[in-house]
Amino acid sequence: MLTSLEPLINGILLGGLYAVIGIGLSMIFGIMRQVNLAHGELMILASYFSLVFLQLLGIHPLVTFLFVLPAIFILGYLIQTFLFNWVLEKGMEPYLMISFGLSIILQNAMLLLFTPDARTLQTSLAIKSINVFNLFYVPVIYLVDFVVGFLVLGLLHLIMKKTYLGWAIRAASDNLTAARLMGINPKRVYALAMGIAVITAAISGVLVGMTFTFYPHSGTQYLIIAFGVVIIGGLGSLPGTFLGGLILGVSQLVGGRIIGPGLQLLSGYIILLIVLTIRPQGILGRK
Amino acid sequence: MSSNRIRILLAALLLIALATLPFWATRYMVSILLLICLYMTLASMWNLLAGYSGLISLGQQMFIGIGGYSLAVLSMYHGLPIFLSVFLGGVISVLLAVLISLPIFRMKGVYFAIGTWIIAEALGICFSNWGYVRYGMGLFIQPAYRLSMSTIYYAALVLCIGSIALIYLLLRSNLGLALMAIRDDDRASEAIGVNIFRCKFTCFLLSAFITGMTAGVLYLNTIFIQPFEAFGIGWTVKLLFIVIIGGLGTVAGPIVGAAVFVVLQQYLSEYVGFNLIIFGTITISVIFFTPKGIVGTFQEKLGFEIFPIRRR
Repeated sequence: MLTSLEPLINGILLGGLYAVIGIGLSMIFGIMRQVNLAHGELMILASYFSLVFLQLLGIHPLVTFLFVLPAIFILGYLIQTFLFNWVLEKGMEPYLMISFGLSIILQNAMLLLFTPDARTLQTSLAIKSINVFNLFYVPVIYLVDFVVGFLVLGLLHLIMKKTYLGWAIRAASDNLTAARLMGINPKRVYALAMGIAVITAAISGVLVGMTFTFYPHSGTQYLIIAFGVVIIGGLGSLPGTFLGGLILGVSQLVGGRIIGPGLQLLSGYIILLIVLTIRPQGILGRK
Repeated sequence: MSSNRIRILLAALLLIALATLPFWATRYMVSILLLICLYMTLASMWNLLAGYSGLISLGQQMFIGIGGYSLAVLSMYHGLPIFLSVFLGGVISVLLAVLISLPIFRMKGVYFAIGTWIIAEALGICFSNWGYVRYGMGLFIQPAYRLSMSTIYYAALVLCIGSIALIYLLLRSNLGLALMAIRDDDRASEAIGVNIFRCKFTCFLLSAFITGMTAGVLYLNTIFIQPFEAFGIGWTVKLLFIVIIGGLGTVAGPIVGAAVFVVLQQYLSEYVGFNLIIFGTITISVIFFTPKGIVGTFQEKLGFEIFPIRRR
């Protein structure tokens, strides 16, 4: 009986990772009312960056953050400055399509550079697991995912509430004209926000690389997970994103246990479609 | 001669050339035009949703997969005639569209785009876990071996011309008028009695029907169907490219876009790996520099429309 707790606990832990996957997407939507379809590819790009440093220097994947995060921040800043900022005022479609084009470019560039082989960021953590009261096992890596995920969300919350940058970002999203009058340059703020959003994506990318295998095409799968998290929780809501991650993680693992592992992703999608139908703005989202 | 007569004459000549193509052109040319016809039809249907009804669907591949699998299952497992299977593929796509319309029409904008995509992904997973259609291994559509290239070409041509005519007539009908009113100001149009839901729903079903049938003909040509390819997002990438290049919200846009796409694809197939990067780059550049696409830009510059949908 108690062994049925295993998918539940692991689902919650996985949910922490899912929340980080979704938070960047949620942030960009909350701030610019736009959806970045290249989110998954930027994530997987960070996994490959990490792999490169890991192979070059022989360091732990978590240490590669030192190199990966600045690099990906600059990339995000440049993408926003030179691509997205130009189409912000033209409605939803151009942004969607440009980010879609970007995702195709990144995906195929990764395919060329890193071959279609399955990769993983190998650590000793991946094979360890904790025996809980002789009832079930919890993989250590899931625990790491959850803790890092929780830290990222907490830190992001602090940045948004306590720093000047956070105030500027929130001001620009609440009232653009007023923010401009107060001397905020919205385009620069957006570029910084995109940089931060892709940093969260990169962190989740490295965690995913340590936990699962990844391919150049994995981005699509994680983009859908990010959507799932964000939609269940409500686009643009930080606590909602965390809740969304937990719900999606649990529904996948519990659903996988009930209807078979091949359909694990499906149970997540079904929950997602139900939420989209009943409450399109998400559980904690505002209209 | 008035410009109207020239137009009719040119159209008639083009039609004759296309109809007699298998008799004078090389096999390679026929195969290229076959692809252009099919992509054009698929792209027109996406354009009907995105360009005229404001429904940006990232899930057209669900109808492509359903159409292809209906053809495979009905013609192979149940021995139905091939073209009846193609037609039924369209019917089953409409049934799917009706089934999902209840949740999907509650979503708007971005949510609609994501919702349709997720349904397509979910269907892909279902089919790859379904023993009846041989899991992810896919199916060879054996009855298609009996068809000649020109038969498939004529099927594609009929679909292509039929769908252009249909869209043209539809846009000049009351429904087209209502769609334009909704696009310009949805609240005002609703206030004067336009039923927004019914207009969008009609377009959605129509697009599902023709996309499902076109997918059937497409898989007659490909012969092999596999769930992750059939239900993959790659289809939407192609349709998006075609419509953006050609011109979103123009009748002639998908025609020009499909021709450009298929020809480009032929040339770029030598550079495996680079071709999609180039497609992505072109898409982004077009959105930046000529957001109205090839046809939209020409119409603006020359003040001439190939398919005028305005009332005189």
